[in-house]
Amino acid sequence: MQSAVQVEGLVKKFGTVTAVDGISFQVEQGEVFGILGPNGAGKTTILEIIEGLQTPTEGLVKVLGRDIRTDARNIKARIGVQLQSSAYYDYLDLTEILSLLGSFYPKRVTPDTLLEQVGLLDRAKSRVGELSGGQKQRFAVAASLVNDPELVILDEPTTGLDPQARRNLWSLVGEIHRRDVTVVLTTHYMEEAEVMCDRLAIMDQGKLLAVDSPRNLISQIDATYAVKLVMAKPLNESQFASLNGSVELVQTGEDNTYLLRFKNDPHALQSVLDEISKADLGLEHLEITPVTLEDVFLELTGAELRD
Amino acid sequence: MMVRNRQAVFWALFFPLLLVVVFGLFDFKGVSSTGLLIIDLSQGPRADLLRERLEGIEFLEVESDQASISRAKAVDELVDGDLGYLIVIPQGFDDPVGEAGAGEPGPVELVYTTRNPQRNQLVDGAVRSAVSDVRSDGQPIVPAQMVSADIIATPEVDYFDTVLMGLLALGIMTNSIISIAVRISTYRNQSILKRLLVTPLPIWKFFAGEITAHVLLALVQTGIILAVGVFVFGGRIEGNVGWLLVITVLGSIVFLNVGFILSAWARSPAAASGMGNAVALPMMFFAGTFFSTAALPWVLPEVAQFLPLTPMLEALREVAIDSAPLWDTWPHLAALGVWVAVTAIAATRVFRFS
Repeated sequence: MQSAVQVEGLVKKFGTVTAVDGISFQVEQGEVFGILGPNGAGKTTILEIIEGLQTPTEGLVKVLGRDIRTDARNIKARIGVQLQSSAYYDYLDLTEILSLLGSFYPKRVTPDTLLEQVGLLDRAKSRVGELSGGQKQRFAVAASLVNDPELVILDEPTTGLDPQARRNLWSLVGEIHRRDVTVVLTTHYMEEAEVMCDRLAIMDQGKLLAVDSPRNLISQIDATYAVKLVMAKPLNESQFASLNGSVELVQTGEDNTYLLRFKNDPHALQSVLDEISKADLGLEHLEITPVTLEDVFLELTGAELRD
Repeated sequence: MMVRNRQAVFWALFFPLLLVVVFGLFDFKGVSSTGLLIIDLSQGPRADLLRERLEGIEFLEVESDQASISRAKAVDELVDGDLGYLIVIPQGFDDPVGEAGAGEPGPVELVYTTRNPQRNQLVDGAVRSAVSDVRSDGQPIVPAQMVSADIIATPEVDYFDTVLMGLLALGIMTNSIISIAVRISTYRNQSILKRLLVTPLPIWKFFAGEITAHVLLALVQTGIILAVGVFVFGGRIEGNVGWLLVITVLGSIVFLNVGFILSAWARSPAAASGMGNAVALPMMFFAGTFFSTAALPWVLPEVAQFLPLTPMLEALREVAIDSAPLWDTWPHLAALGVWVAVTAIAATRVFRFS
């Protein structure tokens, strides 16, 4: 079976800035593929190249078996796209926008079917400006399904939504997935990526750091638990070095906050706490959590993922 | 869809209409020329006396310093409305009345147009009595033989008719430039252009659709402006209204292209609106919408000839006022055609989607 998306050696430069720096990955048909990374990592640029909005500087991009450089029209007819900022006419109601968008495609789904899928049938005569944030995003997803696409591309579908609306959107993506439509999405949220995605690509500064399933990515990390320590004073260099030898210790972006990871070994934690109290650093907060994608990201990029 | 933005459409139609109303309320007939030019072929004291008498008539302004002007030139000025009345004093006007051998001098010629009938009667009467007073030397003579009136029939064109075409062109121009510039920059800001690009819709279809919608709006606007101008304020259109619509469509396309070009530079709809005004308002004055461009200083009248609004206006006026058929306005249509091509090329060069 051919890949839904095949990216090989992709480079995109804007003037002297390299937004995407030699990336290769494949999205298999029927999977939900997430691209994860901080702002400016190059996620949106990759999506725009796949959508045919940008042309690659170097490298090969094939979508649904076709080369994006030569077959853009064919590809555009078979994919559905939701842009980061939802973009629809102010003076048309939902049904009219969907009919209008549908009229651009050879194959189309009726507006009512789409609105029903995303639970907006009762708002059919509303205008986009009258919808709540969550409804707008659901409508944007509906609009991306207007041509019954084989591949749907969602750029940060849950950014700015409240938890309830986010969960709604997750289940919507799940429904699309169950119909064997391939989904490529970007997100800032780790827990979201863990819930929604079959496989993940982790990006930072235009480079691809890892591609795997969330479970495999987590198990890559040689630890079971993570402990977050917040102290009144920072560790000095020698203290940091001595602790970092016995357990795995990382300083996070925030002041005086450290993360340490260990396997099922209570003595490791004990020795660290002893060290901290001996140095009189004033432990203010301690939090023990299972290892999540967040830690994977931290491990790979050395930075916390932020909005 | 454009129609849904009711407020925008309303103001697009209403603004030029407002000007039509404002101009319609002025009575331009009252300000048509009262100038009187005297061509004196006799060069005698009696002629000077007549001039003095005519200068005493309060509703006429006797023009001086134009003694050398030819009769034909003066008649042209009459027809154009730059001059109200012309009097030609014949040779032999100074000869004594009834003296044998000298022969009767020809009558004094009074030339005027059909523009202002009421005033014409007054002037006619006043001139006849002045001439008979000056010529009679106390003897009774028949005034009718002393003055011959030459009345030139001109179509009743007043300033309002000229301005009506100006307002029409102005309305089409501002609406086309500003409305398309604002729309496109709004679409860009809301990523609607981007959203269209990710569909397989060929993008020229989008532009063709936008242009068609605006051209239709321009036609509706033309209809409303002309209807209000003619039926409410008594403006007159001598030529074929169908030709006016053709010129309107051509002009509208030029200004839509200008709007597309501006939208490429504008970072926000508000900026687009400002830029549109900055282009449209000076052009309104420089192209002679309300005032003759001859009043402009320096090389500006020549420069004004090259503005896109100028050929549109000239073509409209030639058809509406001089009832010229469309093909007679071909130099202006050709100029508009060049503008369509130039602006279209420029628009495709500078246009950006995001």
